[in-house]
Amino acid sequence: MVTLASLELIEVRKAYGAATVLDGVSLSMQAGEFLAFLGPSGSGKSTLLRVIAGLETVDGGEVRLGGRRIDQLPPGDRGVAMVFQHYALYPHMSVRDNMAFGLRNAGVAKGEIGRRVLDAARVLEIEPELDRKPAQLSGGQRQRVAIGRAIVKQPQLFLLDEPLSNLDAALRMRTRVQLAELRNRVDAAFIMVTHDQAEAMTLADRVAVIHDRRIQQVGPPMEIYARPANVWVARFVGSPAMNVAPVELLDGESDSASVRLGDGSQVDTRVPRAGLAGAGPLQIGLRAESVRVTGAGAGTTDARVELVERLGDRTLVYARLSDGQALTGEDRGASRVQAGDIVGLRIEGAAAHLFAPDGSGRHPVESTTA
Amino acid sequence: MKGLADRHRLSPLALAGLSVAALVMVAPLLWTVALSLKSNAELMRDSGTAFFAPYTLENYRAILQGSQVFGWLLNSLIVSLGTTLGVLALCSLAGYGFARLEFPGRRALFVFVLLGLAVPEQAVILPRHQLFADFGLHNSYPGLILPGLAAPFGVFFMAQYFRGIPRELDEAALLDGASRWTLFWKVLLPLTWPAQATLGVFTFLASWNDYWWPLISATRSDRFTLTVGLASSQMNYAQTSGLGYLMAQAVFAALPILIVYALFQKQIVGAMAGAAAAR
Amino acid sequence: MNAQGRRNLLQAAPFIGPFLLLYVGLLIYPLLDGLTLSFHRADPFGGRAFAGLENYARLASDPVFGQALGNTFKYAVVVVPVLTAITLALALALNKPGRTASVFRGLFFSSAVLSVTIITLIWRFVLTPDAGLLAEVWEAAGREPVPFLSHPDLALLAVAVATIWWSIGLPMMLFLAGLQQIPEDIFEAAALDRANRWTTFRRITLPSLRRTAVLVVMLQTAAQLQLFGQAQLLTAGGPGGASRPVVLFIYETAFTRWELGYASALAQVLFVLILAVTLLQFRAGTSRREP
Repeated sequence: MVTLASLELIEVRKAYGAATVLDGVSLSMQAGEFLAFLGPSGSGKSTLLRVIAGLETVDGGEVRLGGRRIDQLPPGDRGVAMVFQHYALYPHMSVRDNMAFGLRNAGVAKGEIGRRVLDAARVLEIEPELDRKPAQLSGGQRQRVAIGRAIVKQPQLFLLDEPLSNLDAALRMRTRVQLAELRNRVDAAFIMVTHDQAEAMTLADRVAVIHDRRIQQVGPPMEIYARPANVWVARFVGSPAMNVAPVELLDGESDSASVRLGDGSQVDTRVPRAGLAGAGPLQIGLRAESVRVTGAGAGTTDARVELVERLGDRTLVYARLSDGQALTGEDRGASRVQAGDIVGLRIEGAAAHLFAPDGSGRHPVESTTA
Repeated sequence: MKGLADRHRLSPLALAGLSVAALVMVAPLLWTVALSLKSNAELMRDSGTAFFAPYTLENYRAILQGSQVFGWLLNSLIVSLGTTLGVLALCSLAGYGFARLEFPGRRALFVFVLLGLAVPEQAVILPRHQLFADFGLHNSYPGLILPGLAAPFGVFFMAQYFRGIPRELDEAALLDGASRWTLFWKVLLPLTWPAQATLGVFTFLASWNDYWWPLISATRSDRFTLTVGLASSQMNYAQTSGLGYLMAQAVFAALPILIVYALFQKQIVGAMAGAAAAR
Repeated sequence: MNAQGRRNLLQAAPFIGPFLLLYVGLLIYPLLDGLTLSFHRADPFGGRAFAGLENYARLASDPVFGQALGNTFKYAVVVVPVLTAITLALALALNKPGRTASVFRGLFFSSAVLSVTIITLIWRFVLTPDAGLLAEVWEAAGREPVPFLSHPDLALLAVAVATIWWSIGLPMMLFLAGLQQIPEDIFEAAALDRANRWTTFRRITLPSLRRTAVLVVMLQTAAQLQLFGQAQLLTAGGPGGASRPVVLFIYETAFTRWELGYASALAQVLFVLILAVTLLQFRAGTSRREP
């Protein structure tokens, strides 16, 4: 079976006057896929969502949905529905009318409207609220009405703009589950804009990391985490941020690269050596979990502890090498390390990433024994 | 913290001062009411009798039994309601246009409209009088209503209100396939209800109390509005010589607006203060 | 203009078009036509003959206009400060929660909703010597009633008193709104700094009301320089023009003597004067900084 690409962006460009906000963005989504746009504020991720919705015009490129070009169509004719960050419920209309408004504008038959609204209300458990006004609802209920208003339109594509950002922690968890269920129930694709990587990682099939007017990387969550395309993605995804330090490539016979940190200690990585020699200055990328804290002298190198963050199940240790390079390592939950201590850091070279001078990431070859 | 608590209470001295001021405010009103409740014959002898009984309703009876005051009242009502509805319609449309639509020259046009706030009535009233004479509009309802519709304040006021509505609502409606008109009529306009009430009350009051334009435009006594009608009785008072009757007219004319004031005090005060502060 | 711009303009036209049409037709056109008219000799039947600066030359040496202008400014100079002081005092006294203050506020504002004709009816029969309330009180005290409305030194004052009585509501509400905007914690901070009530009033309350005061003075000046109805109805400008303001003079020139060109020139001069005075007040009120 040929799966039709549901949404396709081809070289989409957008500028406000002289300021380019989207610079040749291309992307292809599978039918029924759940994609997250992840990026810091101001990265252009919301603009991209609004371009797809038709709330912003494009200055170049194409937007296609289900094979149909939609970038010149008005928002209501695109076959997309949007859940707004602040819900944007019509304050003067009842829940029922909020959900029915779009269908009435589209000329859907009355009986059909009633049926769809009721169905959606049942699924979202807001049936008792149908005749109330948005102001009479709790935050969670409003959120569900906003989702319901999108569902009844039976769109090909749902656009969710920071859908969880206005909810408290408990409600956020529940809504996350609800979104996952919704996604299983309807035959449509989803795009969610978020700046919260946990949200993106848990809900999405693939994550598009957006920064500096373009998509930096698109891929399944674990791939983004394990094989970041460049330094920026590596540091943006994962908490605490990945350690990145300048290193020097050592000569050697092995296929894998060995490098030396600024303090002279050596790390043997599993990153292929090919193409790295002579290219220019390299950087190493180390997640905190691959920098283990041990006794002084027992690890790859020693460092002075500057700050200890006890998280219960593990302890983050912010330390500085003898050359002044900062490095964040991890210790067990019951760690006794204190600020000012000299500790050893055991660097797991097998998990290290290298970044070429242009910032692009090189990753360890998958271990065949694991 | 005695000083802080004090600031929330009226001191006896302030209360005394306020009471004197209130007496000055109320005394002329009570005097007017007292005069209106005396027979004309008695007042002819000595208006000082108004301080004492007997009081009578004969002046009010005379008004009810046939007086042009009813006609004037009706004219005022038609003119004020017409002006109010017209202003609300025009200013809602224009306010939305200036607040939400993108079109060439929008900023310049808006400034052009705001400049009108600085134009005093006396600077336009003579040519306007000629203009209306050319179109034969004097002594007609349209002639009395139209000038009130050209006031820029409402446009400014409504534009400000529309700007305060989150744009997300427009966007939600656009995604719901609403046309520009549906968006305006079904989504945004219903949300401006508080602004409509304020602007409506303000416009109604201004129109109801307008004096100069109806004075020169409505010259036939059957076209008088209440303000102009009362002015004419006031000037002819020597001939009619019914002081009690005249004062009953004043009370009769003041009552509707005082009742409206009592009912909508908050909106009226808010509207007038808002209109003043906007300038 | 590009196609997109034209389309947008077309889309906006039904929304802003109707108002703009009336605005230009009934405000902007008359404003410009009034300026033109002031350079003409004109009669009410549409006849106009160009007269250059004749009307302006005439008003410069017209003693009646001079008197009216003097009356207008004399009147404004009395009414505006008195009104501002009274309404500020009322607002300070009434900026309190609770029912009593609320009733007082409602009462002091109530006269503002009445029309000028009702106000003048009321005040005429407070002030006339033959049937007025004051005359009755005077007589009861065994004194000769004062002819406020027909005495050359008192007529304008009588108009001023009636106007102040009529106009206190709005400035009072503006001052109250200004007081409401002063954050409560400043007063708490001042109390912690051991400021006494007078210091608090002088150093915190008054400076915070500065913008409101400028607004009130500007609005009232513009309004009082356009005094018309009260003078026309209470004193008819008399006696001997002692209480005739400029706008009443314009009205008489235009609608009893039908000298439309001359009346227009008078109106232009008053317009410019009002604009100049309020702009001066605005500059004086906003540029001066606290030391």
